[in-house]
Amino acid sequence: MKVVELLERRRQNWQELERYCDRISLSSLNTAEISRFSALYRAACADLALSNSYQLPENTVQYLHKLVGRAHNQLYRAKRFDLKAWGKMLLEEVPQRIFNDRCVQLMFVFFWGFFILSAWLAYSKTAWPEFAEEMIPPQMLEQMQQNFREPIDGRDGDTNLQMAAFYIRNNTGIGLQCFVWGLLVIPGLYITAKNAVWLGAAFGYMARPDVPQGENFFHFVRAHGPFELTAIVLAAGAGLRLGMAWIMPGQLSRGASLQKNGAEMMPVMCAAMLMFLFAAIIEGFLSPSAAPLWVKSAVCLISSGLIGFYFVVLGFPRRLLNAAR
Amino acid sequence: MAQRHAQIDSIIRVVTPENIAFEYRLAGPFRRLPALIIDWVICAAAFFVFMIVVSFTIGLLSGGLAVAIFVVASFVIQWFYGGLFETFMNGQTPGKRLTGIRVLTTEGQPINGMQAIMRNLFRGADLFPGLPCLGLIVMTLNNRSQRLGDLVSGTIVVVEQNSWLTGVARLEDPRAIQLAGYLPPNFIVSRPLARALATYVERRRFFSPLRRREVAKHLGEPLLRQFGLPADTSYDLLLCALYYRTFIADRGEDEKRLAEATAAAAQVNPFSQPFAQVQMEYKPPPLPQEQMVTIPQSPTRQF
Repeated sequence: MKVVELLERRRQNWQELERYCDRISLSSLNTAEISRFSALYRAACADLALSNSYQLPENTVQYLHKLVGRAHNQLYRAKRFDLKAWGKMLLEEVPQRIFNDRCVQLMFVFFWGFFILSAWLAYSKTAWPEFAEEMIPPQMLEQMQQNFREPIDGRDGDTNLQMAAFYIRNNTGIGLQCFVWGLLVIPGLYITAKNAVWLGAAFGYMARPDVPQGENFFHFVRAHGPFELTAIVLAAGAGLRLGMAWIMPGQLSRGASLQKNGAEMMPVMCAAMLMFLFAAIIEGFLSPSAAPLWVKSAVCLISSGLIGFYFVVLGFPRRLLNAAR
Repeated sequence: MAQRHAQIDSIIRVVTPENIAFEYRLAGPFRRLPALIIDWVICAAAFFVFMIVVSFTIGLLSGGLAVAIFVVASFVIQWFYGGLFETFMNGQTPGKRLTGIRVLTTEGQPINGMQAIMRNLFRGADLFPGLPCLGLIVMTLNNRSQRLGDLVSGTIVVVEQNSWLTGVARLEDPRAIQLAGYLPPNFIVSRPLARALATYVERRRFFSPLRRREVAKHLGEPLLRQFGLPADTSYDLLLCALYYRTFIADRGEDEKRLAEATAAAAQVNPFSQPFAQVQMEYKPPPLPQEQMVTIPQSPTRQF
């Protein structure tokens, strides 16, 4: 059989396959069309496999490569989100990874170290006077003093909504930045340290006895504090783990190590994002509300208990997950 | 495709579940950058339209809710636009669809949701403010054109293009068909020879006649000797004749085509057909052998 005849016979099928590929979403095909499409695809694959023995001309072979590539991408599509798998991952694998992970532990020490140091420096007037004024930009300091002048007495719902959305964007954005820049190691450490120092300075300044807004400030932050501070440590720890992945890849190549750690740390970052979401909702709706102090303290204790349960109880290495050191 | 293995090229081979291997071309930074810019423009435009719509519908009810929706939408669009589109549009965002590229895993399989989101999150590291072309540098250092986000999630970006089916080359010169009748029938064209013939004949229309002769000479000279044809037969014509015989000729139609070709050759007027005209610049005096193989125009004289 000569090539011209062969091309004539197969041309119709290839063009039909091309027409199927052009249709944007294959989910609009009915079952008969889908089986026709897969039969055409298998035939085109066979043609490509035998192109050498058919002695097909070069440009026809190129055409077949591209056609088979397009049809392959249409037939084997991206996997969607699988909620059950994600739930299992969040509740089982993530706590165990975090519990054992050296980078998260290191980031915990790093963040809280800077936080406590900065708070103490802002609190004591002798060690570094004007520390808080140097670390926090002056207009932000003024705004903080403004916000906490009166006792917390409830706000209208509109402002609550706005502020909740703002906290979602702001805090989760900071957490994502810590995570993503952690890949480059030094920028990640820098931004975590910067946030730690900033937060510590704010806390230390407000804790001073001569600052009248301190009481209202601590009244405000106690409800959402645990979630937010934990989330930022998690995000920074996940980022540092990725940065260490290409510096100390262990037995794997650097690319493979990056991929493996990326796949492991992404659920950790998702857990952190969920915590940011909870913190933002609490900060937007509960913290500024007129609820009495004991409610907010109770929320603080419950959230700390939940976080402790998540990390320690769920995270205790039942199945010995080999988290890298 | 034995000749492709040694090439330094941006081609990646994929073996599919159907157990065939096909090739993708990788998309380099200058294909991906327009896609990114188009994506940014679409983001900005869509967000602008979204803002107008929301402020006129929900904004009339409650200003705070409208602002909240804007802020959350801006957050989602900033960080998750690429990831969500690549998950639900099978590895493409609108910008990528317009420029014809697609994201796949390094083995050529479709990506899952986590890989899509992760690679788009790490664009924040690729466009790091202190060193904005970090992503570009990483792409040039990588033999699969992966930036940091691709390295972390194990993906590549390939070009997905259509190409036209051109089939077999058309031979307009009837003399090639005539000459094909004089090739020895027991000559078997091997596969490398067939490939070489196809490559030559499909490209020869881009060459000048001198160039054609120069290129065809390498194959034509030994073949002429082997077939015992006169030494001044055009090499180009010989290769076309061999191509015709290998790819096009069909035994049933052979006689019919030969008759047509003869009639066409008999009517050829050198001053009206550009192809023959150009071929005419080198015309050797007809040798006795050549006169013997042409079909006689007039009946032989009878003694």
